[in-house]
Amino acid sequence: MFPNVVFTIFGLPVRDTVISTWVMMGLIVGLALILNRCQPTMLEIIVDFLTDTISDVMGCPAAPYLPLLGTLAIFIAVANVIGVIPFLVSPTHDVNTPLALALVVFISVHYFGIRAKGLIGYLRALASPFFMLPLEIIGQLSRTLSLTLRLFGNIISTELIVAVIFSLAPLFVPLPLVGFSLFTGLLQAYIFTVLAAVYIGAALEANEPIRSRSVEYRT
Amino acid sequence: MSEMDSGTLITIVTIITAGFGIALGTIAPAMAEGRAVAKALESMARQPESARNIRTTLLIAMALLESTAIYVLLIVLILIFANPLLDRFF
Repeated sequence: MFPNVVFTIFGLPVRDTVISTWVMMGLIVGLALILNRCQPTMLEIIVDFLTDTISDVMGCPAAPYLPLLGTLAIFIAVANVIGVIPFLVSPTHDVNTPLALALVVFISVHYFGIRAKGLIGYLRALASPFFMLPLEIIGQLSRTLSLTLRLFGNIISTELIVAVIFSLAPLFVPLPLVGFSLFTGLLQAYIFTVLAAVYIGAALEANEPIRSRSVEYRT
Repeated sequence: MSEMDSGTLITIVTIITAGFGIALGTIAPAMAEGRAVAKALESMARQPESARNIRTTLLIAMALLESTAIYVLLIVLILIFANPLLDRFF
């Protein structure tokens, strides 16, 4: 259940999750190239869905944030469902992968906030009532922790359920639960992306009144 | 039963704690998610035109509520699979 070291390069241990991440990268790039040649409409559907979802959540045009958030969505979705292929494990069932993704979100939130308002303005918006600054810092850190643990916990719990049922009644009884774990993985990819969009949107408009969410922005 | 070494005692306490912890720790998030879904369904039935916004907000809120249950699950998994107290005795 826990990731094991396959081989080491220069003293760096390489785990099986890293190898399946490499396989996954090749799979995504190859699939994108093949689809781009044969069925470009499918790629357009994916990009349109991501753009609509992100701009609905953020309440502003999603084009500047689509590369980051769309990459997160596609990576996590493929990473969560790739565990059903034999000899491959989900990269997200090692806690280091969700932690890395959550740290990327944590840094990019501040990057986009500073880029939108400037350093001084962003810091002022962060500490708008000054005594709330410690709570704000704790909130920033704990949201990174919760992003990590939500993804990791969901994936590891569904895998554990499948493993336990498989040890009790093998081969055909766990199949609905495998389907459920696929559904959970896709839903977690959606939720991770939407939460990252919410956090970036909050950093962009921390001090302004919240705009009406009913206005639909499309790009 | 007369002589119980500390490893056995810690294992027993760990199992009992894990069972009660996961049972009690999932009650509150389950009830909270149930209330959220019920309210969202009421609002969607009353105003079907805003169902799209409600669904997005509902999914975010469910994820935030579910993370409390995930914390409990994480503690229970640590207790069962990687108990730091057992490593101290063995």
